Formats: sequence, C-alpha cells, structure tokens
Amino acid sequence: MNFMPILYALLALGALGAIFGLVLDIADKKFAVETDERVAAVREACAGANCGACGYPGCDGFAAAVVAGEAPINGCSAGGAKTANAIAAIMGADAGSAEPRVARVLCQGEIGTAKERYRYDGYKSCQMAAQMVGGPKMCPYSCVGLGDCMDVCKFDAIHIENGIAVIDPDKCTACGMCEKACPRHVIRVMAKDANVIVRCQNSDTGRVAREACMKACIGCKRCEKTCQYDAVHVENGFARIDPDKCTRCGECAKNCPCGCITI
Amino acid sequence: MKKTFPGGVHPLPSLHQGKPLTNDLPVKSFVSDTVCIPMNMHIAAAPSKPVVKKGDHVLMGQLIAEAVGPRGVPVHASVSGTVKDIGMVQQLGKTTSQCITIENDFNDEWVELKGLGNVENCDPEQIIPAIQAAGIIGMGGAGFPTHFKLQVPPDKKVDTIILNGAECETFLNADHRLMVENPVRIVDGLRAAMRAAKVEQGYIAIEDNKKDAIAAMEAAAKGRKGVTVVTLKAKYPQGAEKQIIKAVTKREVPSGKLPADAGCIVMNVATAAAVADAVIDGKPLVERVTTVTGKVREPANLMLRVGTIFLDAIGACGGYSVEEPGKIIAGGTMTGICAPNDTVSMTKTTNGIVVLDQQEATSLEESSCIRCGRCVEVCPMHLNPYRLKNLCDANLLKEAKEDHIMDCILCSSCSYICPARRWIMSSIKNARELIAQRGI
Repeated sequence: MNFMPILYALLALGALGAIFGLVLDIADKKFAVETDERVAAVREACAGANCGACGYPGCDGFAAAVVAGEAPINGCSAGGAKTANAIAAIMGADAGSAEPRVARVLCQGEIGTAKERYRYDGYKSCQMAAQMVGGPKMCPYSCVGLGDCMDVCKFDAIHIENGIAVIDPDKCTACGMCEKACPRHVIRVMAKDANVIVRCQNSDTGRVAREACMKACIGCKRCEKTCQYDAVHVENGFARIDPDKCTRCGECAKNCPCGCITI
Repeated sequence: MKKTFPGGVHPLPSLHQGKPLTNDLPVKSFVSDTVCIPMNMHIAAAPSKPVVKKGDHVLMGQLIAEAVGPRGVPVHASVSGTVKDIGMVQQLGKTTSQCITIENDFNDEWVELKGLGNVENCDPEQIIPAIQAAGIIGMGGAGFPTHFKLQVPPDKKVDTIILNGAECETFLNADHRLMVENPVRIVDGLRAAMRAAKVEQGYIAIEDNKKDAIAAMEAAAKGRKGVTVVTLKAKYPQGAEKQIIKAVTKREVPSGKLPADAGCIVMNVATAAAVADAVIDGKPLVERVTTVTGKVREPANLMLRVGTIFLDAIGACGGYSVEEPGKIIAGGTMTGICAPNDTVSMTKTTNGIVVLDQQEATSLEESSCIRCGRCVEVCPMHLNPYRLKNLCDANLLKEAKEDHIMDCILCSSCSYICPARRWIMSSIKNARELIAQRGI
C-alpha cells in the first residue's frame, strides 16, 4: 500500500486551508465594521416585544436610535421605568421620570347595555363590522367588541368580555398599539393616575344616545355643574375631564345619571 | 361559440334555484304609502342637497334634492304627496345618511315633463344634460353617475358601449324581465348613449340562460344602427365590468385603470332604459324593477318606487314565508349587502331583495387552506386569492398591495369555491379598506 498520495493530499489541503485562513483573518482585521456594543446592550434591555410603540422599526431600530442619540432614553413605553433605568445606566445618562400611562376603553357598551342593531356573524374584525351598515351596535361610537385590539396586544392585556374590550391595567404597557388598531378610536392611552374617566364618546343628542345605549353620555351637564374645580366640560355632546384640574373627588361620578363616569 | 372570460364559477343549482322562482313572472307595479329617499344613492360625488322643506307638497318627478358638484346627481320625488321628514336615517351605507320621507297621496300627479323626442334625431349635445337632470346612476349595483360615465375624457378613445344584460347574480331576474318586456326602450337608451358619447359600436350582452331575453332584444335591435346582441356563456361573474369587456371585445382593462382605457363604456340594461325615458320623455329616474324573492310567500318582479321600504316591498309579496328571516340581502347573494333589518329603503341601485332563512344564512366555520389552488383557477382577475388572504391575515398590507390586491373585483368566487370554506373575500375587502384608510 502506497501511503504517499494520501499524505500529499493531506498536505496540499492543509496548506490551502492555512493560506485561506490567513487571508480571511487579515481581511477580518482589515475590513472590520466598527460596532457599538451599547446597541446590543440597549437591545437586550428593551422589552423585546417588537411592538413598534416607540415609533422605530422594532427593538433593534430603537436601540440603534438610542445609541445614535435620536431616540429618548425612556422611549420604550412597553418596558416602562425598569427599561428606562437600564438603558440610562448603559448610556450613562439620566432616565428622566416618565409618567406611568395606561390604555383605557372609553365605552361601556356591553351586551345588554348597548342596543344591538343586528347580529353580526361575518368576518371577525372590528374594522370590517364597523363599516357594515353603521356597525353591529346601535351606537356608532361604541366598542365593536370583535377584538382587533386584542389581536395586536403583545402583552395579553386586552380581552373581550361580554362584547366589550377590557384592559388589564397591570399588564398594559401603554404601547398604544390598540389605540391605533381601534377603528372607532374607543381606546385612548392616558396617565395612569387620571382615574376619573368619562367612558363614553357618543356625541349624539341625549335622546338618540340614550336609545342606543343605557350608559351613554347624554350631555346633561350635571357633572359640569357638580364639579367645584372646573375640571369637567361637556363638548360635542359628551363630557370630558381635564386630568390636571381633576382632584379625583369623584363627585361627578356619583351624580352622573347614566353611570358613564367611572373611578 | 359563446363568448366568455377565463375563470369564474358556476353557482350550484341549489343556489341558482333563485332564478326559476321569478324568471317568467311579469313585472307588477307596487306603490307604498310612504317612501324614504336617501340622498347618497350614487357614488363618486357628494350627497345631494335637499331643496324641499318639511310639510311641502311635492309632485311625482319633482326635484327634491339638487346635485352637488359636476359629478353630482339630483334626486326626484318618487310619489306625489307631502314631505313628512328630512333627517338622518341609517340606511345601507357605512354611516347614517340624510333621507327625505314622503307620504304618498296616491294621486301620482306628475310634474310637467319635457323630453327631447326621438333618440335618433335629437341634438346629441343635449343628451348628457338630460341624463344628469333625470338623476340617472348605474342601476346594476355600484351607482356611478351615468352622465359622468358618458363624458369621455379627450385623452381617451372610446369606440364601444356594452349594455350589460348578463345578470349573473343568483336569484335576480330584474334585468331579465326588463329585457323581455321593454326591449325597445333599452335599445333606444343604448342609441342615445352611443350618440352622446359619439360611439359607433353598441353591444347588448346577455347570458345564454335567458333565451327569451335574447330573442326579444334581437328583434328590437334589428335595423338599429351599430347595435349587436351578443350571447355570453352563463357564468359568474360574467356581468362584472372588466369580465364583460373581455368576453365581448377580447380587450383587457389595464390594472388600476378604467374601462375607458380599454375603449369601452359598460352600462346596465336598466340604466339604458332609464336613459331612454329621460331622453325621450324627460322622465326622471323614480322607479325601477326589483326582484323580491327567496323566503317570501309570492316571489315577484316588482316595479318599485325609489325609496320604498323593504318591509313594504316584502309585504307586497305576501310577507315572509318563514317565522324569522335569517338575512335580508339588498342585491344578489354573491355581491349583495346584508340589510340590518327590514326598515331600510331601496335605492336606484337595488336590483333585488333576497330573503334567506336561518339555515341558509348560517356562516360556515373556516378551516385551514389545503392548497388545492381552486381559488386561483376561478379568479377572474388572475390573482392569487389564497396568498392575498394569508398576507391580509398577517397584516402585510404593503406586500398584499404589491400582489395587486387593489385589482380584486370582490366577486367572492374564491370564497364560494373554497373547499376549506375560507373567508377569502372578506379578508381581502377588510385589507383594502385598511389600505385606503392608511394610504399605504
């Protein structure tokens, strides 16, 4: 048995491998792309849901923007204060204090409370149902209740209960995806401590609104008269509370004849 | 050889049974005691503006709302009587629409009408203003203002007008009966449209399942300049604009363009009859043939006044034949709009009222795609419905647009043929709304 050809082959391949390895090594050193390790660290600190609430294309985009100084340190609303502090530590800057926010459903039109216009059994999408002959509920401002918000929520914070979206404030990260998905603009992201809310946006006249829903704001202005702090005003047929003036005394909620102000 | 287009479906006899219910019943006239006339029966223009007040006495054919803008369409009183109310009512639109309710005094007193006389001798320049004044819109379903359709932009060359008598929808026989009973008016309307748009060729395209209509139209078209009757294969969606152009002229409308870009104008036969009424007699569009069928005691083809409330029309057919109707559909079962209840009113475009029972109206449960490709085979627009559906469900709207989702004609052939009962058309329709809203 002649072992020499095997040896030649081994030597030739070994030599080739060594040469290529050397070339690659030099190329790697010479053409290396400068990366900022802080990008990876910031990416790691983010909530990681790729929700897009920060306005950048996913967490990677946000991390790059933070390091480039384009995005605010506390820009990751899904991560909240924890993420902001972690990013601040990486960037060596102050996190700033972001007010905790939460998404609220401005509608109480549950099955039984809101009158049904028709029984909808089509494609399960609020967007679609809202376009169909004024929507399945009589109130054209109501929560459609088919869960477009639930589908986009990355944090399992929204569930449809009794024909209406219910948000778990503990799970909600105020990313605002539900706000964008809602065809009726029923969900609003607001300050977490502004807990006295008018849960209705029906701007129809009192009679029409009441016919559509038992808990509709009829624009009676009783809350406006009750409030001692000039915080409640009825505009466009429904009440709105100014969270800066509101002292959370709850008098308006007690006096609301329709039960549409909640604490 | 019968003309047709590639793709499409043949709805099952079980669905097509709707046609024999009414296809040889002559058109009956029915007038209800009140009519509720919406101001936004047309598309592509702002709703008309009411010019009457509550309590006014109006005559039949009197202008009750004027056109807004150059594309706008006026609305006329469809009965004589007193204006009872002008207010916002939830009709079949996305939101409430302004409606004029008129209480009928059953005198049927017409306002003075002034027509142009004969369609062949009248001044062609006056035809389009006459059509606009009569408030004519496309009566096949979409409701595009006819006067605007006939004004061909100078940069486009239109040489053909096709009258759509295909009526490929299930259940409906309104156009069929009109062709059998009033063929001369339809040919007159076609000639008027041809003269107005300066077009030499006119086709009347009819599906081969309406032999009597073909015979009647051929007899009426004999000796009329440039008018030909074409027999098409009975297939859905044969009556869709782009498909009928393909079948009759073998031309294709380019993606995202209008029929005028393929040198064609397509009109419904009912629109043509209304055009003839407007040009010859100066009569505004106040009534139309509507098939009221399905689960009603005596299905019928009714000549109904615009604004007749569905319940009245169904009452004229002996009421429901089932305890509780499952669905009431304005139009045919393939493309019609489901009415929320029976208090909505019919418009100039309502060619049918179909009542389904609870069992027929049950929506089928969706299951997974089995990749059989049948939706691709039947798509008359040569799209990939299964792929579009997946893209829409994954919310990849930009990709869906690149895959020509906007070319879909929403005929729902794909949903119909799908053995997995996937709601393809619904997904596509929903995604298109989103694309339009978000401006993707």
